[in-house]
Amino acid sequence: MKKLHFLEVEGNTKGFYTFLGLFGLISVIGMLAAYYMEHNGHWVTGMSNQIIWGTPHVFAIFLIVAASGALNVASISSVFAKTAYKPLARLSGMLALALLSGGLVVLLLDLGRPDRLIVAMTKFNFVSIFTWNIFLYTGFMGIVGIYLWTMMDRPYNNLTKKAGMAAFIWRLVLTTGTGSIFGFLIAREAYDSALLAPMFIIMSFSFGLAFFLLVLMGSYKYTDRELGDYIVNRLKNLLGVFVAAVFYFVIVYHIANLYSADHRGITTFILADGGIYTFLFWVVQIVLGSLLPLGLLYGPTGNNRTMIGLASVLVIIGGMAQLYVIIIGGQAYPMHLFPGMEVSSSFYDGVVASYSPSLPEVLLGLGGFGVTLLLVTVAVAALKFLPASLADAVADPHSK
Amino acid sequence: MRLQLNIDFSFNSFFNKKSLQKLPLAVAGLALIASFNTVNASQSDLGPSITIQETSGEKCVLPSEEMRRQHPDLLKHDRIKTLREGVRAKADGGVLDGSLKQCVNCHAVKDDNNKYVRIDNDQHFCVSCHQYAAVSIDCFQCHRDIPEGSGDFHALSNHKEVNYNAVVPGTYSLTVQDMANIAPEVHSDDN
Amino acid sequence: MTINIENEKQQDTTEIESSRRNFIFGSVAAAGLSVAPGVMLYQTANARSLSEKASSKVRWGMLVDTSKQVDWNKCVEACNKEHGLNNETHSRDDQKTQYIRVVDVTNKGTGYSMSLPVMCQHCEQAPCVDVCPTGASMTRPDGIVLVDRHRCIGCRYCMMACPYKARSFVHEVLSDQTENTPRGKGCVESCNMCVNRVDNGQDPACVEASDGAIVFGDLNDPNSAISTLLKEHGGKQIRADLKLNPGVHYQGI
Ligand code: SF4
Repeated sequence: MKKLHFLEVEGNTKGFYTFLGLFGLISVIGMLAAYYMEHNGHWVTGMSNQIIWGTPHVFAIFLIVAASGALNVASISSVFAKTAYKPLARLSGMLALALLSGGLVVLLLDLGRPDRLIVAMTKFNFVSIFTWNIFLYTGFMGIVGIYLWTMMDRPYNNLTKKAGMAAFIWRLVLTTGTGSIFGFLIAREAYDSALLAPMFIIMSFSFGLAFFLLVLMGSYKYTDRELGDYIVNRLKNLLGVFVAAVFYFVIVYHIANLYSADHRGITTFILADGGIYTFLFWVVQIVLGSLLPLGLLYGPTGNNRTMIGLASVLVIIGGMAQLYVIIIGGQAYPMHLFPGMEVSSSFYDGVVASYSPSLPEVLLGLGGFGVTLLLVTVAVAALKFLPASLADAVADPHSK
Repeated sequence: MRLQLNIDFSFNSFFNKKSLQKLPLAVAGLALIASFNTVNASQSDLGPSITIQETSGEKCVLPSEEMRRQHPDLLKHDRIKTLREGVRAKADGGVLDGSLKQCVNCHAVKDDNNKYVRIDNDQHFCVSCHQYAAVSIDCFQCHRDIPEGSGDFHALSNHKEVNYNAVVPGTYSLTVQDMANIAPEVHSDDN
Repeated sequence: MTINIENEKQQDTTEIESSRRNFIFGSVAAAGLSVAPGVMLYQTANARSLSEKASSKVRWGMLVDTSKQVDWNKCVEACNKEHGLNNETHSRDDQKTQYIRVVDVTNKGTGYSMSLPVMCQHCEQAPCVDVCPTGASMTRPDGIVLVDRHRCIGCRYCMMACPYKARSFVHEVLSDQTENTPRGKGCVESCNMCVNRVDNGQDPACVEASDGAIVFGDLNDPNSAISTLLKEHGGKQIRADLKLNPGVHYQGI
């Protein structure tokens, strides 16, 4: 195995500025969309008093969940001592920070009063799982920051394992915390399930790795660095395992809910008569987001980089659909004021709430991706995150 | 886009510390507020004039000079008392010092048609100063900006218009014109 | 003296009345206190003086008798008027604020149907208070659940958590609010049990408009009208299975 050598991406190139400009533009458009929503108020969005959290939350929660998943590669290398992943650990940690930042930006800009951020940072209600999440997020930033530092500053390399362990534990707690945001909503059938938090953890593995693979393959392609099959194959096999795990968990989750009288209503709604939500579930989440990627990754196309990239994109799209179904579908399904009775009112009791995402919401959400990728672009050029080469000769511990 | 709360925040905490004199002249708005201190030192014709509506009949909870400095604290203190604790009057039964409702009731300004001017009007009591000082407030995004009713008659206010000329305090080597140039125009709909 | 104020408030509030009211509230109420310290006369037994903090000795509650044949829409109207609601100009119907709504309930099996007003149920274990990250959503010591708009950041987590769909989000810039109910864009709001009226010794607006079908009072006082009624005839809470112990009780559901 040749010596590993990290190198910044050359910043003064056309390609670099193109990406910088592109991601910057997406971010700026997202910010403008947020300004438009804030200036007018949320009436310009599809959100309402029935669909309280909308598309921005789907994007934000996707990014936050993916953030903790993106850290997996680093964890595998330092906590589980798999040297094969060591060259990727820095990118993994940095990507986790970038994804979390992107997600938080979206979450923040969708607040009714984003100008009161200072209130959210100074007045805490420690009973609230939201408050805990604020600490989990800031703590994650800090711990992963230290972890990256121990990796990148040679004298501190011996601390990497400890820092990696801390980061690993923290990310599990963080995803549980994110999942629990929904788990604590006792009155909503869709969320009142102990399986939700563990499901979020499995989802984070899969979403985070898909995003990681895309960033890895993209950056090596556009910087003309060598990326050998050894690494890619390991990662895509791992992704396949995670996708299958999510798929399995989804099945268990819905079957368990079908057998529980309390959750049968929402489950049949999602699986059978939820209209758009049923479509998103079966077609986008299951077929496009789970089965097709599994086929692409493990079938005859398994060695084709384009197909691996496509599979990763599909996993991300499927993941977004999954969160859309959970978050928005879960709200659309009516709450039962009087279980077993038929109710109606001027406030949409007893009816499935309608929601169509508005353009500003989508743009704000995409802006979150823009911020993430912008940060990644700047980071790989500023610091030594990427190995100069990941050719098999370098990356494969067994190669001579 | 939404910086006004930060401004508001620092504005109040500076007031808390009562260390206004020691502050470097970094924030033009603060300098302007400081200038209220010496607003009565008679140097006329020096700069832009600011119209302050005076109420007569009843006096305010504190002398004007102190009010100018302390009204944010009074309001903040009593909003906690009233909303979170349920205290709605002073021990003697009088209206709380920081009752925004009472502020509005006394200080409401009428236009030529004898109608109260609203928060989007430069003449509104709060706006007239806050615009001048370039400190935006968000109270009236939620709170009513004029007394209830059309206000053809109002017991507490009998408005006299007094024109003060804003004056440069000697300690600052800025002219009023300078300050006016620095201080941005703030419109209430920027809130 | 205070009773005078109430009489005034119940009159059709002309502008003159309104400003006089403020005047009286400002100065004469003080006189009332100094004439007879501690002897403020209020309609409800456990009312405190306005200068005291709300106390947990009191727990305000309501008892709604759904068997009374009243037009619950009158309560909705009274609420809207009291709090200046329904003044949105841009919001869609599903975005407009409703503090109280009339819910029609039908038992599909038997065909029996009824209507009842549903507002914030002022839970003892309020989920909205638990989940609020900033403490903006709060329970006053006397059991009234409120949103402190000075602190609300508009995250809407409380709306997600409320089992009664009692909360609304203000989706647009508002103006011309009423004096006693400040409300504005980007904050969440809900029925506040007319806290301003309650503190002044009055009944909430919906109670006043209900022709006696809603009784308001102190659940902690065994001798209050509401406690007596509950003891004699019983009452139910909506979704009592959630064990939130709402302050609003119903009869006939
Ligand atoms: S919307 Fe406001 S009141 Fe509700 S949980 Fe968020 S901060 Fe608290």
